[in-house]
Amino acid sequence: MGDESVPYFLGEGTTKTYQIPISHLDYKFIEKCTDIKHLEKILRVLRSGEEGCYPELTLVCEKRIERLDPRNRALRKDKPAATASDFTAEEWQAINSELMSWLAEMNEDDKKSQLLRTDTPNERQDNLPPIRCSSSCLPTNQNKKLQNKQRSKKNIPRDYSEWDKFDVEKECSKIDEDCEESNSKARFFSRPSLPIIEKKIDTTGMTKREKIFIATREKEKGNEAFATGDYAEAVTYYTRSISVIPTAAVYNNKAQAEIKLQDWDNALQDCEKVLDMEPGNIKALMRRATVHNHLQNYQTAIEDLNKVLSVEPENSMAKKSLQEIEEKLKGLKPVSEPQAKGKKILIEEIEDTEGREQNTEECERRGGDKSSGAAAAAQAAAGEPAMGNAHRKSHGKGKEQDRDTHKHKDSSERGGKKGASKKSEKHLSDYEDEVNGYVRSDEKSESAEAKEISTPHREGFQSAGGGSSTSLPPTAAKLKSEGNELFKSGQFGEAVLKYSEAIEYVTGLGEQSPDDLSILYSNRAACYLKEGNCSDCIQDCNRALELQPFSLKPLLRRAMANESMERYRQAYIDYKTVLQIDSSIQAANDSVNRITKTLLDQDGPSWREKLPPIPVVPVAVQLHRWDGGSLTSEDKPSTIDISREEELQMNCEEAMEKFKRLKNEGNDFVKMGKYEEAANKYSECMKLNTEECTVYTNRALCYLKLYKYEEAKRDCDHVLQLEDSNIKAFYRRALAYKGLQNYQASADDFSKVLLIDPNVVEAQNELEEVTQQLHLDSSAGAGNQQRHGKKITIEEVTEADEEEEGQFAPSEDAQTHHVAAEEAVPKAVPRRSSQKLRVSEPPNAYDFGQIINALNANKDKAACADLLTATDPKTLPVLLSNKLEGEILLIFIQSLEHYIAGKDPGLAYQHLFYLSKAERFKVVLALLSKNEKEEVQHLFDLLTESHSDQYSLEDLESLKEVYEL
Amino acid sequence: MSAVLGSERPQVVSHVQQALSYTVFDCKWVPRSARLMCLGSAARGTGVIQLYELRGARLEVLREIEKPKPIKCGTFGATSLQQRYLATGDFDGNLNIWNLEAPEIPVYSVKGHKEIINSIDGVGGLGIGEGAPEIVTGSRDGTVKVWDPRQNDTPVANMEPVQGESKRDCWTVAFGNAYNQEERVVCAGYDNGDIKLFDLKTMSLRWETNIKNGVCSVEFDRKDINMNKLVATSLEGKFHVFDMRTQHPTKGFASVSEKAQKSTIWQVRHLPQNRDIFMTSGGSGSLHLWKYEYPAQRSKKDSEGSEMGVAGSLSLLQNVTLSTQPISSLDWSPDKKGLCVCGAFDQTVRVLIVTKLNKI
Repeated sequence: MGDESVPYFLGEGTTKTYQIPISHLDYKFIEKCTDIKHLEKILRVLRSGEEGCYPELTLVCEKRIERLDPRNRALRKDKPAATASDFTAEEWQAINSELMSWLAEMNEDDKKSQLLRTDTPNERQDNLPPIRCSSSCLPTNQNKKLQNKQRSKKNIPRDYSEWDKFDVEKECSKIDEDCEESNSKARFFSRPSLPIIEKKIDTTGMTKREKIFIATREKEKGNEAFATGDYAEAVTYYTRSISVIPTAAVYNNKAQAEIKLQDWDNALQDCEKVLDMEPGNIKALMRRATVHNHLQNYQTAIEDLNKVLSVEPENSMAKKSLQEIEEKLKGLKPVSEPQAKGKKILIEEIEDTEGREQNTEECERRGGDKSSGAAAAAQAAAGEPAMGNAHRKSHGKGKEQDRDTHKHKDSSERGGKKGASKKSEKHLSDYEDEVNGYVRSDEKSESAEAKEISTPHREGFQSAGGGSSTSLPPTAAKLKSEGNELFKSGQFGEAVLKYSEAIEYVTGLGEQSPDDLSILYSNRAACYLKEGNCSDCIQDCNRALELQPFSLKPLLRRAMANESMERYRQAYIDYKTVLQIDSSIQAANDSVNRITKTLLDQDGPSWREKLPPIPVVPVAVQLHRWDGGSLTSEDKPSTIDISREEELQMNCEEAMEKFKRLKNEGNDFVKMGKYEEAANKYSECMKLNTEECTVYTNRALCYLKLYKYEEAKRDCDHVLQLEDSNIKAFYRRALAYKGLQNYQASADDFSKVLLIDPNVVEAQNELEEVTQQLHLDSSAGAGNQQRHGKKITIEEVTEADEEEEGQFAPSEDAQTHHVAAEEAVPKAVPRRSSQKLRVSEPPNAYDFGQIINALNANKDKAACADLLTATDPKTLPVLLSNKLEGEILLIFIQSLEHYIAGKDPGLAYQHLFYLSKAERFKVVLALLSKNEKEEVQHLFDLLTESHSDQYSLEDLESLKEVYEL
Repeated sequence: MSAVLGSERPQVVSHVQQALSYTVFDCKWVPRSARLMCLGSAARGTGVIQLYELRGARLEVLREIEKPKPIKCGTFGATSLQQRYLATGDFDGNLNIWNLEAPEIPVYSVKGHKEIINSIDGVGGLGIGEGAPEIVTGSRDGTVKVWDPRQNDTPVANMEPVQGESKRDCWTVAFGNAYNQEERVVCAGYDNGDIKLFDLKTMSLRWETNIKNGVCSVEFDRKDINMNKLVATSLEGKFHVFDMRTQHPTKGFASVSEKAQKSTIWQVRHLPQNRDIFMTSGGSGSLHLWKYEYPAQRSKKDSEGSEMGVAGSLSLLQNVTLSTQPISSLDWSPDKKGLCVCGAFDQTVRVLIVTKLNKI
């Protein structure tokens, strides 16, 4: 209606200029119109006023356009210059005062420079580059220029009318062709992303003011380049700026640009320079943290971030990255220091004792260790009963745990070394002998009593079905586990406090649980031993032994403490006692031998006479090591009674009992390396209870050891059906797959293990190995060879055991001992191989250096050979950077000699050749000893013998000269 | 609304307005000072050089020099920071270099062109640009000549059309790419819309294009870096920004164009402290402050695999109208960010303050 009436009313249908229907000059229409072009026209009409002046409507139209297209050109209006009224008073004030201060500064400067100016008018003339094309070459250049000009201008229309016909495109392309012919050089220089820019600015003769000006300008150029993403260019300009005046801000910016370029080393240097100039510069700290993070120096990164947070507690960036790094640190710790950290989580559950004296200390570590896996799962809060006790427990659980402890070999090795070093420091006087003697006699007199106490207790929990063997009140248990944690992390002092608290708590309740109390004492003793506090250690061991006579751990600890205090007789007796209980403890055997020697020196041939009497260990305690089922002597009647009763009852408990016994027997067999028998025992177990995953995982382990990968896989599959996240099952299935050479599936399973617990070092190593085997045929071959060797050793052991089966007691002991020693071999082999196979082609000098250091530490020539095989010889000098050392050279030479020269003499030659190109090579060579030189000579001899098309004898001779042979 | 604008966008404040008794063609800040030069033509047909000093809210004349020929353009680009000699081009085609302390006789003088020198630029001085100090002049006689103040009488490079062919009026010249001792280019704009890029290193024409309308002003965003951007303004109010980093074999340099106003854009000047901000001065007495925004990727591969530049976009930061007459010259202070001088045909020189350039 309105649409029609308006034009009618106005007598005109459209506007004059754009022929827009008049009806469109309407609020409603404009509000709805989305055609910006049309609205622009309407706006123009409205602004022109040719259809009348409608300020409101114009405004509405502008707003509409602004909403549709905020940057529309039609909205640009002529505006007068801003005046004071456009600013707040403060702003205006600031603008003016800023200008005034600049003016003042300039005036000041003028006065100064005027003084300077008169005498230094031409000083820079000398530094100037020569005049472009001196007059002699000028004509040619001019001609050339003329020609160029001529060519380019040839077809260009000469007056304006012709321009309409001018085909710019065509002309352009002609010119471009032209350019391509004559300007290829110019082009070449314009192309590279990194133009050749001087890194330094000659500032001779410049005043300070000039320098500031230039430095600022170069910095601005750097900032602009940075903003555009030309980081390399930015770094260049920052460097230039620094060459004029070094300032923290520019170093800081440069560091940031270098971070973008991932040039960590330089970025680090620059951050450090900033921090030298301005300690506590937040940005520099943040940047250094970033660099450290990327260089994997997480600890330093965290320190830097903490510094930032101490200044700016609300810095969210810092918080975020701190969190990230800490997470990373958690995840990566075992990887970055696989050697040092040892095995946090041990999946290889049955390892025999290596007989190190430290294996007594293992238990403390595992006490709080969440990782004891399937076995521990069954034992719930246990771990504790095993602690410190080889002492007879009527149930095998304790034993199994005991064995579990041996897994911690690695960690205990370290701990042991520490302990050993402390030991050597601590030489206390002998006066404590008396005390000790007194305590010991005390112990003996009380031992019977203690046994009496413990036996009923044991019965008590037997009849309860005996899942959990700890009766510690929750508070004490908590304290204890805290103590264990602290112990594990090496905070022995704090651990002592925790254990003491726990002990106090337990004793406060009255002596209801001698077992637990004994363990607590034993643990505290371990702490004392670690701290070198031998006398307290002995005291605690005594207490523990009062509560639990013939407990293995306290005995061992006391022995060690005594030995440290040079109380060799006591130590000897304790070790002897230990050996009566378990003769397979190598540490004890070694120590006895050692002490025997010492005592022989000290007391002469009659040393034995001076010894206090060696306590006789009840047979039950001895036998217990070997057969959890068969019981003898003192304990026999009572236990048999019990078992009979239970047999009569034929209830679940009995089945459980039998199940456990079988399982323990199985475990024992595994421990002895009798995997065949162990598997049989486990199979029997399964008849009783198919729900128990541990048995399956254990049997899977046996099968793995027996190379029955199919069976192992089946067992693992079964477990995984019951428990879909059983980490051991995954791990063993992965090993089985690996054995079946199904590397893909194996890698999958290892990944799952890592998914469940990323801290499993073995799985990580294995995963790497498997992945490599997926890729690297050569290394796979090497790996197989090694595995083959391992197989043979085990088989030998197993056979030997079978032959000797049925023999008991001492000979059996010796046998186990033998097994233990043999077991060390396969144990060591996979470790080395897994480490070796961690070697992949290093991407940069830093990684390469890390790998080399690791290899060098182990003198792992095989892995070094792999590294060299994986590395392109040409990159050696770059990768080695300036890190070449005599040791590195030597290990290179050795691995080339032993592993590579035989297989691929060409490669060996290449490596030798490029090795000689590395930095520091001459220096290192000059420092080689005679023997080492001989090794090099030998390698060359080898190369001379074997022939390769990659080098001739002459090449070799000349290279020999380089190697100064 | 103005409050909002005041707080966010740069504002252009007209700090000082100084009426002149002559027509001003060019104005320049004297480097490292609060002084500025105004160059022009007096009513009686002589040339004027005036040296002003900014003192608070007014300009004070320090020196006034009269020369026989009207002076069209000037530059400090080829002088040292200590000397600060002014190079000028006059209506008669003379290139003179003046010591402002003793302006009676030029320290360097050459009759460089047959006709008026429309445009002049210098490089290698003031710590801007590596290499020899050089001056380039562009003249109505159609030639572009490069001069070294150390060489009398003859140019070190001469770019002219072949004899006999009609000459185009060269309206504007600019140096660029002077990031090391060897590299240097000269860009020249002609009345017919030609833009030519001469490579002084190889003495060749590196690139040529035509923007259809007379090229009033060309300038590289920075002279002393690997050439990055070039702005060329035109007679009918458009200007083009070329990305000079990537030259395609056939397509040359990528560009974006923008129309500022209906009238001629007389000048373009980049902010010395930030190469991506520049101001254009228009025939309608207006100034536009622009910012160039880079694309995510500055170059891409075409179907044949050649590198091809990608142009960015432009945004208008501010525009003001100062006069009804064209603003013919514009210069940013190299020392004080945001300080700017412009000369208009209404015989007025204005000192402007552009605020909040730091916040862009």
